[in-house]
Amino acid sequence: MIELHRVGKVYAVGPVKVPALSDVSFRISKGEFVTLTGPSGSGKTTLLRLLYREDVPTEGEVEVLGDEVSLLTRSQVAALRRSIGIVFQDAKLLPGRTVYENVAFVLRVLGTPRREVTGRVFDALRAVGLSSRAQAYPAQLSQGEAQRAALARAIARKPLLLIADEPTGNLDEGMAGEVLDILKDIWAGGTTVLFATHQAFLAAALHRRTLTLQSGRLVKDEG
Amino acid sequence: MFGFLLGEALRDLRRAGRVAVSAIMLITLSLAALGAFWLLSSNLGQAVAQFRERVKIVVYLKREPPAAEANALAERVRRMPGVASVRYVGKAEALGTLRQVLGKDASVADSLPQNPLPASLEITPTDEGSTLEGARALVTRLATLPESDEIGGGVDWIERFAHGQRLLWVFGLGVGAVLALAAILTVTTATTLVLHARRDEMEIMRLVGAPEHVVRMPLLLQGMMQGLMGAVLAVWVLIVCYALLGPRLEPLVSEVLGVARLAFLPPLTIVALMLAGTLLGGIGGLLARGRPEA
Repeated sequence: MIELHRVGKVYAVGPVKVPALSDVSFRISKGEFVTLTGPSGSGKTTLLRLLYREDVPTEGEVEVLGDEVSLLTRSQVAALRRSIGIVFQDAKLLPGRTVYENVAFVLRVLGTPRREVTGRVFDALRAVGLSSRAQAYPAQLSQGEAQRAALARAIARKPLLLIADEPTGNLDEGMAGEVLDILKDIWAGGTTVLFATHQAFLAAALHRRTLTLQSGRLVKDEG
Repeated sequence: MFGFLLGEALRDLRRAGRVAVSAIMLITLSLAALGAFWLLSSNLGQAVAQFRERVKIVVYLKREPPAAEANALAERVRRMPGVASVRYVGKAEALGTLRQVLGKDASVADSLPQNPLPASLEITPTDEGSTLEGARALVTRLATLPESDEIGGGVDWIERFAHGQRLLWVFGLGVGAVLALAAILTVTTATTLVLHARRDEMEIMRLVGAPEHVVRMPLLLQGMMQGLMGAVLAVWVLIVCYALLGPRLEPLVSEVLGVARLAFLPPLTIVALMLAGTLLGGIGGLLARGRPEA
């Protein structure tokens, strides 16, 4: 499902080269639930950006769903992303649209027939326990609800792979636990999940395979 | 899918607010100006065409020939290139016409010691013979006739009129082009503002793997909608102006140009204006696409 081989990423900030990842190699199989952990600035987000081809590595190979992502054309990148659900720390909900419209929006832009949209939106909202808040705007949601709405948006498309970049970063322990439960439910439904967090206790509580990054290097792969 | 993208484009248009309204107004102004010049020019063109139909060239003869000679002369002239028809007017007929023209003062003609009017040939040129070059060539040919004393009539003044019509058309096109450029730039600005407002949507669309044409289509559509709205307004402005000013101008137009009534733009021209507006808006939307902040 995911395979990284000696991946490195260096950002050039003017004349200065800033290494973000070096010599990272690992493999994630279909159906796994993997936690990616490490302190802030350890390279977690950079690594995830390589997976959905928001960025390309400066060395090594990144293979996702059978494709070497650096070699993909623009339309192939779009096709790859249609199989991946992505959730961010800041939820990235569209402020001028309700929760329902936020979820429906991605279905419509991907060409889902209108008659199927409502059912799929409510299925996703039910899965994250948010169907009663369908008509609420993002500003009216708590941070936990906003993250659940973002998860609904990601799973409404039934992705093969879910990438969650610090979805619990802004949440208290209780809300973070709710989000983790939802992630586990999604994984139980057959979706491969890659969950990034800087909160080591969450990674430990999950009892799943954990990849630990430190200063851009993969220092631990356990579980 | 198209309905959804159209909905997104309408949403964008509302977002662009006053800038979109300015763009629509500028498109209205440029197309209304273009349409007005078009309307004037086509009416002038119609007048020119009518004038050309009435063009006559008169060959005044040195002396009145006997009937058989006159017929032979008319036949000779009729065979010349650029001549549609020839009518011989004898001295007596010319005097009769003068009497009709003088009306109650016709007795003045009777007091003349002898008929001073010459016999003449009234020539109606063909379409080619009615053009400036054609008429000049015909006059030159007619001047070579040994019977010819003087040539009257011609098309110089009609050509000056036609030249004025062309100038009006070019001027209208120039004004329309300048306004159209301003309209394109305004649509581009409006679309660029929309791009900023739409940045979040576009980011989400790209992250979920929407095809690029789906990401861009709402921008193009909202530009085209601005253009179409501007064109519809421009046609409406022209219709209102025509309805209000047409009847007032018609007596003057009839007197000066000899055209019975001012004609409005034909349906094809209206369709062309609509398409031009949509195209202007679309170009504005496309130009905004290429900007780096997109």
